[in-house]
Amino acid sequence: MTTEITSALAKQIAEKILKQPKRVISPDEPIISSGLIDSFSLMDLALFIEDTYGVRIEDTELNANTFDTLDQLANFIQARK
Amino acid sequence: MTILQLGIFALAAIAINRLKRNRELALLAISIFFLFWLQPAQQFVSLVFWIPFATLALIVLLWLLIAAPEARAWKINWQTILVMSAVVLLIDLNQFFGLDQIYMCTTPRLWMLGAALALVFTADIFFWRIQQPKLWLGVFFIGILLIFIYLKTPYLVTESFMLIYALRGTDAPTKIIFTWLGFSYIAFRLLHTIRDFQTGRLPALTLGEYVNYVIFFPTLVAGPIDRAERFVPELRNPVALAEQDWAEAGRRFFIGLFKKFVIADSLALISVNEILIKQVHSSAWLWLFLYMYSLRLYFDFSGYTDVAIGLARILGIRLPENFSAPYLKPNLTQFWNAWHITLTQWFRAYFFNPFTRSLRTKNFSIPIIIFITQLSTMALIGLWHGVAWNFLAWGAWHGLGLFIQNRWSEWMRGKMQTPPSPRRKLIFDSLGIFLTFNFVSLGWLFFTLPTPQSALTAIVKLFGFGL
Repeated sequence: MTTEITSALAKQIAEKILKQPKRVISPDEPIISSGLIDSFSLMDLALFIEDTYGVRIEDTELNANTFDTLDQLANFIQARK
Repeated sequence: MTILQLGIFALAAIAINRLKRNRELALLAISIFFLFWLQPAQQFVSLVFWIPFATLALIVLLWLLIAAPEARAWKINWQTILVMSAVVLLIDLNQFFGLDQIYMCTTPRLWMLGAALALVFTADIFFWRIQQPKLWLGVFFIGILLIFIYLKTPYLVTESFMLIYALRGTDAPTKIIFTWLGFSYIAFRLLHTIRDFQTGRLPALTLGEYVNYVIFFPTLVAGPIDRAERFVPELRNPVALAEQDWAEAGRRFFIGLFKKFVIADSLALISVNEILIKQVHSSAWLWLFLYMYSLRLYFDFSGYTDVAIGLARILGIRLPENFSAPYLKPNLTQFWNAWHITLTQWFRAYFFNPFTRSLRTKNFSIPIIIFITQLSTMALIGLWHGVAWNFLAWGAWHGLGLFIQNRWSEWMRGKMQTPPSPRRKLIFDSLGIFLTFNFVSLGWLFFTLPTPQSALTAIVKLFGFGL
């Protein structure tokens, strides 16, 4: 299940946020601390997660301390489901 | 702060570390003492005592509103109340001890302290009985913000003191001195706990834990702004220090001292300032002085952070990092992920994210949302440093910079469908670091010079005009 979530998140980030469909984002690649996605895109990602998985990420949780990789984010979503 | 004061901080941290029992109470007592001890001179001498007293009263009253029922029991808080009252009383009793070498302040007469304590305890009983704190939390939230704005607005401070002098019928001095030590950080910790309580995310905190969190002495003067839910578990179960942890804590502490008192203080002698800009007629030298100012600011502030992190580590608490090589970041977004991290995270959590979320669910275009949210967030971060045009201009400079960078990245991503080769990435990153450092350095002119006009004049001179 975690793999499915990371794949879906990677696809969303590559296609909708980075607008680079061919971009491969590995599950352990830092996405926030590396500056790959900025704070505005992070909110977009949070809204996508809310719509897709019904999991709300609080405004105070949208930072690299809560999750920084797709693996961590997928685990976060799983734990909240 | 002086080296001597920081040295005393270190001794206090080591002493608390050696305690087998009652560490939390000892930390509380020491933090309260330092809160009083560090208060600078004030326009009215009595304020040196009453300002920290008011800080404590504010924290206690707010705790009564946000404490979970299981954390409010008398039997788990009476020791805290006793220690707090005892420390304040001992400080007041210094008027009889006369230990001016330790605490030099004219403390109020005993009956005045007794009356103030009675007033606070009466207010405590009132707040203790409040079942629905919603209204009062709103009052505290706005009240703390108003105090913050007042303290950060020199005009308001001056005018209010002038009014007091006028009412007294005495001559006012030419310069008003009024500071509330650490309130910039204390206020943001208090506001964070109010907001988290309102959203049901605040953990149950005893009075001792709450006061320790808000006035934790290593972070009292210059942060970082930790979060209560992260801080308190380590306060309850301090992280044990192995030999290498002692070495690491000591290393951070001494590196911090070196950065602050050797590097930053030396760079201060050759850093750009208002007088230098008028006197220097070479743009090359001006650039050099500007770079020195950028480095000085970093070493000064990050030095304090290192000291705080080292001291906290001795106390078994791992504070969040506040800096992560900010001047080596290839763009402005990454710079703000690496400069004063805990402050920017605070503003993201409590302003930028909710604001963006609310606009995103409406039908605004994305560039407009980014423009509004980036600009307003950075303007507020600017105003946090002081309600003045130069800080607003500094915030706007960065807000616009972030917006332009965002649009540029968006455009570039459309052009580059795959990540660049390592060689091209190195070139892009090097160029990005150069541009970002220079953009940030130019921004410091708005930060350090008294008016936006003087900063603009300096920028013109830097580029070889008006020399």
